[in-house]
Amino acid sequence: MTLPNEQLVSLEETRAAEAFLLREARLLDNECWEDWLATLSEAVHYWMPGIENRRREDKLGTYSAEHMALFDDGLRDLKRRVNRFNQPSAWAENPPTRNVHLISNIEVFAGDVEGEYRVHSCFVNIRSRGLDEHYQLAGRREDVLRLEAEGLKLLKRKILIPNAMLLCKNINTFL
Amino acid sequence: MDNNLIKLKPIEASPALPNLDKLCDMEAGRMSGKIFWDGDIYEQELEKIFARCWLFVAHESQIPKAGDYIATTMGEDEVLVVRQKDASIKVLINACPHRGNKVCFAEAGNARGFICNYHGWAFGTDGALRGMHESGVYEDSAFDKSQHGLREARVDSYKGLVFATFAADAPSLAEYLGPMAWYLDVILDNDEGGTEFAGGCIRSTIECNWKIAAENFVGDILHAGWTHDSAARAMLGGAVAQVSDFPESWSVNWNGHGYEFARDLVGNAAVLGESAINKYLHLQAPKAAERLGEFRSRMLGAVSSFTLFPNFSFLPGQNTMRVWQPRGPNKIELYTWVIVNKNAPQDVKDKWRRGAMMTFSPTGVFEMDDGENWEYCTKTSRGKVTRYQDLYVGLGMNTRLADTDLPGNVFKGQLNEANSRAFYQYWKDLLKAPSWADVPDRNGQLR
Repeated sequence: MTLPNEQLVSLEETRAAEAFLLREARLLDNECWEDWLATLSEAVHYWMPGIENRRREDKLGTYSAEHMALFDDGLRDLKRRVNRFNQPSAWAENPPTRNVHLISNIEVFAGDVEGEYRVHSCFVNIRSRGLDEHYQLAGRREDVLRLEAEGLKLLKRKILIPNAMLLCKNINTFL
Repeated sequence: MDNNLIKLKPIEASPALPNLDKLCDMEAGRMSGKIFWDGDIYEQELEKIFARCWLFVAHESQIPKAGDYIATTMGEDEVLVVRQKDASIKVLINACPHRGNKVCFAEAGNARGFICNYHGWAFGTDGALRGMHESGVYEDSAFDKSQHGLREARVDSYKGLVFATFAADAPSLAEYLGPMAWYLDVILDNDEGGTEFAGGCIRSTIECNWKIAAENFVGDILHAGWTHDSAARAMLGGAVAQVSDFPESWSVNWNGHGYEFARDLVGNAAVLGESAINKYLHLQAPKAAERLGEFRSRMLGAVSSFTLFPNFSFLPGQNTMRVWQPRGPNKIELYTWVIVNKNAPQDVKDKWRRGAMMTFSPTGVFEMDDGENWEYCTKTSRGKVTRYQDLYVGLGMNTRLADTDLPGNVFKGQLNEANSRAFYQYWKDLLKAPSWADVPDRNGQLR
């Protein structure tokens, strides 16, 4: 496999993209749902395909856009998910799930059009519930950030985890 | 269809556990949490339920071409479901008859055969042993390749759904489904093109006993209004429909299978919040009425759920099919698929694929509250004392409807634990029965 030609952007732009991702992680860890929604473009596509354990020679590959996903969301869908977290009757969120999102391996490149950035990063998400529930998910993200009127917004996110089966009961956070 | 069958060595039947009647008394409508925690009971379940019953293994649309296969499990036994050159389907145990290694490590694909990584034993897609690495050295041992193929299970299908069983003495699939097939047709046969699965399969693990999940779908709509209040408000901006307000609804069961349903056409589907799906169901209902009659045409996406005993469940409307794969007394692997009418517009199919994801999948806003409940219904039984206390399963006792034309054991209303009682009764009957011939027929007697 070869990687596409990648064009670095200025230090200032790189710093802005890094700050965007790190702030996002802090918003999620603190359940600042409305502020998190405000980081998303109206046109956001937030996608986490299901991972398939196929042989190397299988042309279908490890995931595909037409197959089942864990997230395949537009803004309306993401707002609905947040809306559940906000309900007093979200029984499984009270006491709350405690989250840490670690973000690393950030690389910032020029996007396909002016004002867009292609940003790679890795995450480790650790969740704990109750006394003894502990779940760890790690993965890679490929984002497109876009400079909009109010600043940088998330336009596209692709989340790839290595797991073809989640070793936990749910993903009750964003990654 | 059963030629070549069965090279399976029968497993020696273990004696039934004592005290099952104390742990599960459906006449009294009570059971004990021990049945969700006990390792000995679980081993008996693997033998007397999962090695015996017809288990769902695939939808035919997942393996359309010769050589197409998917890997799944029957209980904890790993199997390959393989399309043959003559278009038939075989279910082969995914274990080499030499040292037992897996012969296929992928979850799905297309193959000309399966070769074991260990000593190079090579099998055709029909499971026959074709050759081995260093094949010459086997000659002196009078090795007979025809005796060393992959082991097969019995296979049969019903309108696209493929089932398999390890039990030579099991009834036919048609007998196993019995009158429940009439209800399955609501989903499988409401359109002339039949059904297909969306691509892929979402898998997750839940630390719960498999029966709790299966029972939830066999007949527990009662939990929805309370458990899923947050999800309904998130998706619809309001509470779940008040099921007790429905003028008519039913709980129907037969040999441990159960279907609880209303006839509101779109009640389940509505929580997806996709007008295109509601519209499709309204357009589909008159077509379904021509095929299935007016009564069943109103069930397409209605508030309803079913489980085919033991562990295959479905939600009409959300269109998710799933298997609760047992992994020890207090763990399951949940395999989730999406079923759609083959002839539905692509846009509608895509909306169902996403809608099932949004609602009933590990990221689904409904399933999150289910998983939490089921784990703690299981884990509280860790307590030695708690484990032996009674759990109430008596709702709707003696509400059987006598004057009805509906097939199966028919009970009044969905808010009724009749299907749960029937599920646990059949579970206990199987655990007590030395063979299929010994399983009592309780249809007609259940309360």
